Amino acid sequence: MLFPTGLMPSPVALATTPRPLPPGVSAEQMADALERFRRIVGDAWVFSGEKVASYYDPYTIPNDPQRYKAHAAIAPASTEQVQEIVKIANEFRVPLWTVSRGKNFAYGGAAPVLSGSVVLDLSRMNRILEVNEKFGYALVEPGVSYFDLYQYIQERGLKLWLDVPDPGWGSVVGNALDHGVGYTPYGDHFGMQCGMEVVLANGEVVRTGMGAMPGNNTWQLFKYGFGPYVDGIFSQSNFGIVTKMGIWLMPEPAGYRPYLITFPREEDIEQVVEIVRPLRLNNVIQNAATIRSLVLDAALFTTKSRYYSGAGPIPPSVARQIMADQDIGMWNFCGALYGPPPIMDALWTVIRDSFAAIPGVKFYFPEDRKRRPDILIHRADTMRGIPKLTEFGFLNWNGGGGHVGFSPVSPTTGKDAIKQFHMVSDRVRESGFDYMGLMAIGFRELHHVTVIVYDQTNPQERQKLHELFGLLVGEAAAEGYGEYRTHIHYMDRIADTYSWNDHALMKMHQAIKDALDPNGILSPGKSGIWPRHLREGTKA
Amino acid sequence: MKTITYRSLTGCLSFVMSAVALTAPARAADMSGREVFDHYCTYCHGSSDGPGTMQLRRTRGKGQALLLERTNLNPDYIRYVVRQGLRSMPPFAPSDLTDAKLEVLAAFLAKK
Repeated sequence: MLFPTGLMPSPVALATTPRPLPPGVSAEQMADALERFRRIVGDAWVFSGEKVASYYDPYTIPNDPQRYKAHAAIAPASTEQVQEIVKIANEFRVPLWTVSRGKNFAYGGAAPVLSGSVVLDLSRMNRILEVNEKFGYALVEPGVSYFDLYQYIQERGLKLWLDVPDPGWGSVVGNALDHGVGYTPYGDHFGMQCGMEVVLANGEVVRTGMGAMPGNNTWQLFKYGFGPYVDGIFSQSNFGIVTKMGIWLMPEPAGYRPYLITFPREEDIEQVVEIVRPLRLNNVIQNAATIRSLVLDAALFTTKSRYYSGAGPIPPSVARQIMADQDIGMWNFCGALYGPPPIMDALWTVIRDSFAAIPGVKFYFPEDRKRRPDILIHRADTMRGIPKLTEFGFLNWNGGGGHVGFSPVSPTTGKDAIKQFHMVSDRVRESGFDYMGLMAIGFRELHHVTVIVYDQTNPQERQKLHELFGLLVGEAAAEGYGEYRTHIHYMDRIADTYSWNDHALMKMHQAIKDALDPNGILSPGKSGIWPRHLREGTKA
Repeated sequence: MKTITYRSLTGCLSFVMSAVALTAPARAADMSGREVFDHYCTYCHGSSDGPGTMQLRRTRGKGQALLLERTNLNPDYIRYVVRQGLRSMPPFAPSDLTDAKLEVLAAFLAKK
């Protein structure tokens, strides 16, 4: 059968279900606003009716079909068009949900928090304005994907490397703004951002940092300019629309040597992280390396049904079989050496000797890996900035297709790592899911990202996931662990955990929101920040 | 609103939906169907170990896993899946993969 029963909503329903309207906006007002938008961007770039389905969250969590549904979408081609759009949105009080490319999957995709919003899709603003090899930076618009920028650099033979997240189709700007991470020494994407152009809610265009000075030539070289450093308030926020951004690029190193170190026991994570911390702080481990769990790595290239047909998570005996078959460990540390060969040799000696203390540890370079496909061969591309989509393979683990990330941040200590691991993996497994986690190592913190893969076609499983997620958030917050990023369904919940001093930070966010966007037209509900008129009452 | 009837390849399911093709912007695609496939699809569907190939192998069987080896693809079905998504495959918005590109892609995949 072509469409398995229950796989997707009825196309008839998609075509005929009324699109939700935002609070306080009538159907006539919305129609008038869309007509005005069409005059700005052209008929072809305002999407309504069944075409809005492309802006739904593809991995939906709630069972209420009216949640997170856009009314329409509009795709401008220039900063000037964005300026005109926000003026119309103010006039009609139509909320705009801005996405760079809308590929922030597992966090809601292009779907708005507030149903009835019009998605402001910046995909067409995809110009690569400058790539500077001498200084190592690019100035790009939000519609530029990692694939686009990589291709641009390769075609010109520039000796620059990108830093990419796992999915290469996402926006360079959008990923940095959402505090995404990659796997080279430039893995902190927002940390590598330098200079922005932002359209404010009143239509005014601002350039940050050195870009505020006419004729300045260091916009992408020096972040801070003069006065308050404001770039951060436009990340994970709804205070403005970023239409250009500088991103630093890594000069091609003299040498590159990826490696894989495997560890045979789950409990090893405590000792592994203790060893990692000083190596990372001292830049012996040079890149944003990751320690990935067995199932997450195995799921890239195989499926659960090949090993286990029972209900619930795989038992330990099956885990051991997968380890043997896939030639990986219970934890797998993928890192890389960068630089002249003598430097890489010296660094590797320290790294190898440090981890050799762990019983059962194994060390690999790519030439040691004979199986295809293979995790190190795959990660060797990612750690040198080659964009791919290979990681989507893990969605086939159990066939359900849905996935969401739970991503608390903790100190880089063994004690925190093992505590985090048990707090999350125990709950995940109690709920019947397999633990698919990674610990991404920053300089002083680790992001413990657990991907929960679920059957999005099953309402009961979505409800089970929702209950699990709420439990995880609450238990993490009780221990002082906060999430760095989340799905649109949990933005209010996560924001509420950052509550020190009677929610003083959120009060400040709200004050900024009210000052910059008094009509509340920009991405209401993003990161839990609501405009004044929506703070009480219906939010979605 | 114009509607068109779609029928599944096996004939076991038919339904009515608005026709994407009928509302496509009147612009020609600036890419061939193969070029659209290479740009948008090949990362997941171009090789035997791509995530899309894995999904199709799981749901349709080994012989139906690689899109470029399929001889039973229907243009209407391709349009539908691209715009709506399917299981782990997310939808592609018309701002990026335009209706004109989708038309040549659907024709390319259906005529192999």
